[in-house]
Amino acid sequence: MPYSLIILWRERRRFLPAILAVAFSDLLITTQVGLLLGALAVLSLPIDHSRADVWAASRGVLSLELSYPIPESWRARLASMSEVVETEPYLYGFSYWRKPGGGSEVCCVIGSRLQDGTLGAVSDLTPRMRTLLTEPGAVVIDESERERLGVQGVGGIAEVAGNRVRVVGLVRGLKSVGPPFVFCSLRTGYLLQPLFRDYPQHTMYLLARCRDPKDAVTVARRLGQRSDLSAFTREEFSERTRKYWATSTKAGIGMGFTALLSLLVGLAITSQTLYAATVASLREYAVLRALGIPRRKMAGLVMAQSLWVGLGGIGLALPMIYALAASGESSGAVVLLPPWLLGLGTGLTLAMALFSGLAALRSLRLVEPITLLR
Amino acid sequence: MSSATPALAAQNLHHAFGSHDETVRVLCDVSLELYEGQVLLLMGPSGSGKSTLLAVLSGLLRPDQGQVRVLGEDLWRMREAKRERFRLRYFGFVFQGFNLFPSLTASEQLEMVVRWGEGASRREARRRVGEILERLGLSRSAHLRADRLSGGEKQRVAVGRALLKNPRFCFADEPTGSLDWVHGEQVIRLLQSAARDRGAALFVVGHDPRLVPYADRVLHLADGRLADETIPTQTPGEVPS
Repeated sequence: MPYSLIILWRERRRFLPAILAVAFSDLLITTQVGLLLGALAVLSLPIDHSRADVWAASRGVLSLELSYPIPESWRARLASMSEVVETEPYLYGFSYWRKPGGGSEVCCVIGSRLQDGTLGAVSDLTPRMRTLLTEPGAVVIDESERERLGVQGVGGIAEVAGNRVRVVGLVRGLKSVGPPFVFCSLRTGYLLQPLFRDYPQHTMYLLARCRDPKDAVTVARRLGQRSDLSAFTREEFSERTRKYWATSTKAGIGMGFTALLSLLVGLAITSQTLYAATVASLREYAVLRALGIPRRKMAGLVMAQSLWVGLGGIGLALPMIYALAASGESSGAVVLLPPWLLGLGTGLTLAMALFSGLAALRSLRLVEPITLLR
Repeated sequence: MSSATPALAAQNLHHAFGSHDETVRVLCDVSLELYEGQVLLLMGPSGSGKSTLLAVLSGLLRPDQGQVRVLGEDLWRMREAKRERFRLRYFGFVFQGFNLFPSLTASEQLEMVVRWGEGASRREARRRVGEILERLGLSRSAHLRADRLSGGEKQRVAVGRALLKNPRFCFADEPTGSLDWVHGEQVIRLLQSAARDRGAALFVVGHDPRLVPYADRVLHLADGRLADETIPTQTPGEVPS
């Protein structure tokens, strides 16, 4: 066993704060970003769960919820393209949900066609739900949003933009990080979104399905050349929406800062612990220096200790990350842990530990054999 | 036992500490010779410059003036890296404090020196450390961590660390200063036998008169100057008057 590991293990109480600091950093970075990814995945969920190959919207749209009504007649532009076999309008917009017991909540109304093979309706809507939604004023919500929207469940009655709505079904796993999603038919959607009262024969999006999904990029590029339209493939629009939220909102930036802060806190504790451990052995190192053992051997020991501290912290953090993700899942907070994120957390915290080791090396400058003779 | 050519020869050493306004001269025109197989004891009152002289002779402190020739080479004209390699190859040290890593065992403390210093394999290091621990009477304590060893055992490990690489010179600064005489005598005997058996030159700084019988020569330093030299006539255990 290397001396670095022997010393680390036998003096584990001394090194424990550094190991915990690395674990804390890894845990915080990974779960924060995992939470953000989970939240972002929900934001783009209406896109990801659709069957549309191409999404067309008003010029310069940055994210799913930031479009502006466009004439429904523009469907002809999509339909006229040889690669396109099917088009349909899609409504997405905010409205006010008045709870039956009093109070209101901003909600996000998503109106789409409901027949089999619909491009816009999320795949989570069962055929029965889609049938029930054809009734005017019928809506489907996520079961976790019942309390927020003030309804018991199926059969619950509320009012949206002055129109009576009735919950006809509940879905799972579509809990929004913003206003709750309210799924409905196009017809109900027009009624529930006041904006469209000023824009008759308009839609928020136009969706298209291509004969060959590989043509989606070509179709989106050609449509996007027009000065009044933006068009993206499903994957592009999903990523654009998530990227916008990740970079342009305070939520994404805030999480980024928290992750950075945890790295800095971890760095401070780890480097201070390693520095103190090295300073505590200055006289022993000084004897080795007197005996002619090169300083780089001691530097290697400190760096190896920082590596072990990093690996120990990561080893401690991983089960905690999975446990936190599991507990978040059960309480409705989705924590996504793709392998690249685990790699990123590991890489960053390991780099932080090694950097702490480098910072602790400055203490070796204090190693002078002559001090043993005074 | 002493050969005609000194293994170490110091000439006209001068050293002072402090700035221009407040300079304290600690070595003043010191010259001495040290021969292989010889134990030289440097005595003197506290603050007389003993440890400074040891540091200058052993390549740890550059003198303001003077020359130290070791095995025919001028120690202070070497580049730092060469002097470091020179110390690694020829010098061993024992200091007053034990300076052992508290969490390493007696054998690990010594193995570290062989492996780091000479790049020896783990097996080779273990073999050599086992031999020296046996000679030091520490075989049964080899697996004990430094913080569980007695003071005498710690200093014997420190002596082992100095002698492990069979140095041509061993510098010991108050090696018995932290020990009672029973353990102190064990330590000085070990050092003396290293000089006798292996032909090493031993330079010991101390103030305990009970060390005198173990020395071949005794030098006295006072106010940075070598005062006189005596050749001990007592036998070990006999305290000089």
